[in-house]
Amino acid sequence: MRTKLFLLGGLLLATAAASAWAHHGFAAEFEQTRPLKLKGTVTKWEVTNPHSWIHMDVKGEDGKVVAWMIEGGSPNNLYRLGFTKDSLPPGSEIVVEGYQAKDLSTVAVGKSVTFADGRKLFFSSQARESEPDKK
Amino acid sequence: MRNWLRDSMVAGIAVLCVLSLAAAPSVAQVLPYRTPRTADGKPNLSGIWQALNTADWDLQGHAAATGPVASLGAVFAKPPGLGVVEGDEIPYLPAMAAKKKENQANWTKLDPEVKCYLPGVPRATYLPYPFQIVQSQNNVLISYEYAGAVRIINMGAPTKAPADSWMGWSNGHWEGETLVVDVTSQMEDTWFDRSGNFHSDALHVVERYTPRSADTLTYEATIEDPKVFSRPWKISMPLYRRVEKNARLLEYKCPEFAEELLYGPLRKKASN
Amino acid sequence: MHRSLASTIVFAAAIAVPLIAQTSAAGQAQSVAAKAATAKTRPAAKAWAPPLTPDGKPDLQGVWTNNTVTPLERPKGLAGKEFYTEAELKDVQKQERERLAVIEEKGQPPANHSGVEGADADDVHYDFSQFGLDRAQAKLAWNRRTSIIVGTEGTIPPLTPDARKRLAEMRAKAKGHEFDGPENLNLGTRCIARVNVAPLLPSAYNSNLQIVQSPGYVAIETEMIHDVRIIPTDGRAHLPGSIHQWYGDSVGHWEGNTLVIDTTNYTDQNPFKGAQNLHVIERLSRADQDTILYQFTVEDPGMWTKPWSGELPITRISGQIYEYACHEANYGLADTLRGARVAEAEAAKKSVK
Repeated sequence: MRTKLFLLGGLLLATAAASAWAHHGFAAEFEQTRPLKLKGTVTKWEVTNPHSWIHMDVKGEDGKVVAWMIEGGSPNNLYRLGFTKDSLPPGSEIVVEGYQAKDLSTVAVGKSVTFADGRKLFFSSQARESEPDKK
Repeated sequence: MRNWLRDSMVAGIAVLCVLSLAAAPSVAQVLPYRTPRTADGKPNLSGIWQALNTADWDLQGHAAATGPVASLGAVFAKPPGLGVVEGDEIPYLPAMAAKKKENQANWTKLDPEVKCYLPGVPRATYLPYPFQIVQSQNNVLISYEYAGAVRIINMGAPTKAPADSWMGWSNGHWEGETLVVDVTSQMEDTWFDRSGNFHSDALHVVERYTPRSADTLTYEATIEDPKVFSRPWKISMPLYRRVEKNARLLEYKCPEFAEELLYGPLRKKASN
Repeated sequence: MHRSLASTIVFAAAIAVPLIAQTSAAGQAQSVAAKAATAKTRPAAKAWAPPLTPDGKPDLQGVWTNNTVTPLERPKGLAGKEFYTEAELKDVQKQERERLAVIEEKGQPPANHSGVEGADADDVHYDFSQFGLDRAQAKLAWNRRTSIIVGTEGTIPPLTPDARKRLAEMRAKAKGHEFDGPENLNLGTRCIARVNVAPLLPSAYNSNLQIVQSPGYVAIETEMIHDVRIIPTDGRAHLPGSIHQWYGDSVGHWEGNTLVIDTTNYTDQNPFKGAQNLHVIERLSRADQDTILYQFTVEDPGMWTKPWSGELPITRISGQIYEYACHEANYGLADTLRGARVAEAEAAKKSVK
């Protein structure tokens, strides 16, 4: 019973703070029925707000290289956690799972972005360098 | 013997007094204005300030000229200005001078101010809107009315930026009466004015804010960018205190005013 | 005899008055501490004296966060329960750690990212935790409250009948037109204004602020969207009623160790859409070295049947705020409108067939 209440509390925060999330209609921007998986090389990490953008070159089956841009999150807390604009250098091999833009341009939102070997971009699988429950 | 010694000492002192009295007026003339102190003993720069010139139109000396929008006639023509660049020359590298001309010819399409983008430093200082300095011991906050631009100058040990930003990374310190601010890590996308004067991501600006009277400051900025200019160059201008009672910054959140320009073509067409 | 009685009375009064004063101060300090109910503060016999700025005002300066797990309104199942016990709070903290661990392993659960009210949950969004944007990846301002809104109910009061009608009309007008043009999107999406500024409500991430003070002014910069309120404390009047601003007009004054901020002259769009005469009163005071107690009251008789108040601690962080430029790289807004036009064209083609 208590568990339900606490989780409910979390959901309600999400609702109350919903308009605080700059949710600019992701499902209007990207096509839900067109999930994709891209493998390629980072050419630039645009560390902007409200969203950062990972630019990558993807080599198609025909051998042609296509430039994609992948929508990611605000970099500001990464800076607080010790990362910089150089923490995702050009040349990094990455894998993107996400959804393509509705207008079929080479733009996607990356639900999950990892290095080609499966490692997370910025965090190891166990350690968090933040202050999770420090009072 | 003693009388002679005493007399020459008196004479000597008298000469010194006369000399120092004679010197005093000219010494007083070159002493900088000494502004009232904050409670922690620093020159007090807090207040609302504004530049009163046409530097945002064109940093260099310029005559009046027809504006870009015919229907706005004399309301939005280019006003004349003496210029704020020392020597009136902006020393572009030969390869970069052509880019400035191209920028200038297409300025309404290319100038980030038209889109309400953050202006960077030093342009934020001489935009035609007021700004407010909130000066504290460890930080000097400058809030600009235009686009809600803001920066917080670190007055402690200098720090480094994790990435570039539109308003740059500011480390400050005091040199006598002057606040000196070292600005690095600015985005390359800002311009210096509406005449296409630009820079690269190697821009380095050093600002100097010096009180010159109770209600004016002297603002100087030395601009260095080896990718664009052959040598550092300098601008300077007075800044005037907004002295009206209850002077304050108001909101000029201009992203809204640029929406038609930026997104109008993407709007849903009215169905017939 | 008279003299000794008189002097005895005077002597007794001399002891009693300071004792009474101390007791009431202790009572005040205790109720303040109870309201704050942070794990860190201990009820003090004397009110804690905050450090002062060089010009003698309480020092609120520094870099702070109001990042929290506490919802604005109290969950229904907790009605009447304003505070968790210390043991229950430890449970909440444990659940928060577990929630983040699950997300880091499996990714975040689906939610409605469509921008359309009431739409189904989807996973068309980047994982916040990948970018350190999950709230548990930043310092949390823990406290025992079950909701930010104080009191036995802990919910926003009912709307007035007029407001209910007005909001229903606004909703009906907006339905089906969510992506017609930039003006149909919310103010945060347009990088114009956000709901975390006046009052200082927490945001999902980057919920940070920096305070800088100089004589006569307190400047509060919230990280998103680099918004600064410079609050004059000289007791000046509000702006004339003809001027409305997204964040209203804030004027302040000091009451002892508390900064009191009074804000009026909002538009009817922000932060509570439909409120046409919003009035917000905020109170900030240092509760201890690393905590500001933040209290706020929101009222608009044309919107809610009664005023409502909230309280949450604001805690110091060791990092700093960084520039959140927003409008300059807001590609998502253009992409959203473009995507909506594509969806309309596809729907039009289908209906022709």
